[in-house]
Amino acid sequence: MATVTEVLTTRSNDGRRVKAARRRKPIRWFAYLSLLPLLVLIGLFAYYPAISGVFWSFFDWVPAGDSTFLGFGNYLTMMQDEIWWQSFRNLGVIFVFGIVSWILPLIAAELLISLRSARWQYVIRTLLIIPMAFPGVVTALVWGFFYDPNSGVINKGLEAIGLGALAHNWIGDPDTALLALLFVGFPFIAGLPFLIFYSSLQNIPAEVLEAAELDGVGRVRRFWTIDLPLMASQIRILVFLAVIGTLQYGFIAYLLTKGGPDNATVVPVLRTIDVAFSAADWGYAAALSTALFVITLGFSAFVVFVRRKDTGAADGGEM
Amino acid sequence: MSASSVIMDGTAESAKGRRGAVVKTRKRQFGVKTALLLFVVVSLAPYLFMLITSFKTNQQFAENFWQPVFPMHFENFAVAWDQVAPYLWNSIFVSAASIVAILVIASIAGFVLARYRFLGGGVIYGAVLVLMAVPSITSLIPLFVLMRQLGMLNTYLALVIPYTTGGIILGTILIRNFVQGIPQTIFDAARMDGASDLRMYRSIMLPLSLPVLGTIALMTVSSVWNDFFWPLLVISDNSLRTVSVGLQFFQGQNATAWGPLMAGYLIASLPLVILFTFLSKYFLAGVQGGVTGAH
Repeated sequence: MATVTEVLTTRSNDGRRVKAARRRKPIRWFAYLSLLPLLVLIGLFAYYPAISGVFWSFFDWVPAGDSTFLGFGNYLTMMQDEIWWQSFRNLGVIFVFGIVSWILPLIAAELLISLRSARWQYVIRTLLIIPMAFPGVVTALVWGFFYDPNSGVINKGLEAIGLGALAHNWIGDPDTALLALLFVGFPFIAGLPFLIFYSSLQNIPAEVLEAAELDGVGRVRRFWTIDLPLMASQIRILVFLAVIGTLQYGFIAYLLTKGGPDNATVVPVLRTIDVAFSAADWGYAAALSTALFVITLGFSAFVVFVRRKDTGAADGGEM
Repeated sequence: MSASSVIMDGTAESAKGRRGAVVKTRKRQFGVKTALLLFVVVSLAPYLFMLITSFKTNQQFAENFWQPVFPMHFENFAVAWDQVAPYLWNSIFVSAASIVAILVIASIAGFVLARYRFLGGGVIYGAVLVLMAVPSITSLIPLFVLMRQLGMLNTYLALVIPYTTGGIILGTILIRNFVQGIPQTIFDAARMDGASDLRMYRSIMLPLSLPVLGTIALMTVSSVWNDFFWPLLVISDNSLRTVSVGLQFFQGQNATAWGPLMAGYLIASLPLVILFTFLSKYFLAGVQGGVTGAH
C-alpha cells in the first residue's frame, strides 16, 4: 500500500519513473543507447549539412580540393544576382496567387458544410480530395500535357469551341508561363486548405449556427461574422505553411519550364540548384541555401513569437 | 417545423439562395449540390482525361481528344509497365526500408523521451523539435556534397537515409506526444504485475500506438513518392530512380506516344491511390498531423 501511494503521488506527468528514490535527473545509459540511432542520424544528416552549408558559404568551396576563404564574397554576389532577385519576385506572385486561390476551397467547404445529408457530405468530400492521392509529379506532368501548344487539351478545347485565336504557347511565353504554372492543380480544392477549412467549419458548434439562423442572419453575413473569426487560428497556420511552402516551390517549375523561358518562372530553389550543378559554384550555392535557410528560420521564429503573445481566444477550430 | 429540422440535423442551413427567409429551406438543396458537383467534375477532369487517353492510340487521340474511343488499347499499359515498373519497385523498396527504420527508431525514441526523465532528455527533444522548423530543401546542396564524399551517390542508401532522418524527426514528436497521452495508471498496473520496460514498450505502447505508426508509415510513403529534387540530384542511374524522377525521364522517352504516357502516369499513381482509398482516414490524419506536428 505504501508503495502504491508513493507511485501515485510522485511528480506530475512528464514520464516519471516509479522509484521515487531518484529525484534529480539521473543518467540512464539505456536511454542514451536507445536514442543513439536518432542522434546519429539527425546529427550527421540534418545538423551537419545545415551547419556545413553555412560554413562553406563563406568560401569558394571546392568540395574535393582547396577552398579559398571569401568572407562575405558570395553574399555580395547574391545581392547583385539579378536572377536571384527575379526569383523572389516570382515567389511574391506565387504566394499572392496561392492565398487568393483559397477562395475556391473556402467556397467548396462552405457549400459542403451546408449539405444536410451526411452521406452526401461524405461522398462529395471524398470525391473532392481524390486528386490528393496522386503524386504531385503526375498532376504536374498531366497539366504540362494540357499546356502543350499543339496537342494540348487547352488549345484543342479552345479550337473546338471556336476560340482558336486564343490558343497560346502557355508555358513557352514569358508573359503567361508563371500564371500557367500557378494554375496547375486548379481548382485547388484537393489540398490542405480545403481540409482545414472544412474541419474547422465542422467544429463550429451547431448551436451557434442555429442561433444565427433563428436570428435571421443571412449566409453571407454569417460567413463574415461567425465562420471566419472562428477559423482564424487555423487560417493563421495555413498562412504560415503557405509562406514556408512558397519558399520551397520548385518542382512544378522544373518539370514544365525549368525556370524559363527567360527566367520568367525561376524560383530560389531552382536558382540554387542551377548554380551548384551547372555553374559548379558550390560556395555560392551554399550561400544561397543559407540565405533561404535563414529566411525560413527567421520567419518561423517570428511566427512563434507572435503566437506567444496571442491570447488564442475564440478557438473554434481546434484540430 | 424549421426548428425541428434544425435540431435533428444539427446544421441549420437554408439552401444556397440565402435571403434569410424561408425560401427553399427544407428542400433538396439542388443549388448547393449542383455547385459541388461542378467542383467535383472540374477537380477530377484531368485525371479522368488521363484515364481516357491512356487507352487511345495517337491516331485516336488526334481524332477525338477528350471522349473515350473504342476499341480500347490495353497494350498501352503493357508498354508503359515495362518502363515504369522499375521506378515503382524502387519507390516501394525505398519506402519500405525507410518505414521500417523510422518506426523502429522513432517508436523507441518517442517512448524513451516520453516515459523517462534523464539528463539531457529535454535537450535531445528540443534538438528534434528545432529541426521541424528547418525545411530539408535548404540543406539539399550540403547534403549532396556529403553523400558524394561518403561515396553514396547512386545508391539506395542515399535515398533511404535522408527519408529516414526526416521521418524520425516528425515520428519521434508524434510518438512522444502520443505516449505521453497514455494514462500512467496503465503503466503502473503493468509495473505492479512485474513488467519490465521492454515489456511495457512491446505490449502496451506498440499495440496502442498502431494508428500513429500507421499514419507515420503512410506519410513516409507519400513523401517518398512525391519527393522530387533529392532523387533528381543523387541518382543518375536509371535503374535506381524513384517514381517522381523516373516519370520525368519516362515522359522524355514517350513524348509523342500519348496513350502509353498516360498509362505510365496511372501505373505510377496506383499504389498511392490504392492506399488512399482504403486508408484515407490515416492518410488525412497524416496530412493534418504534419500540420499539428509542426506546431
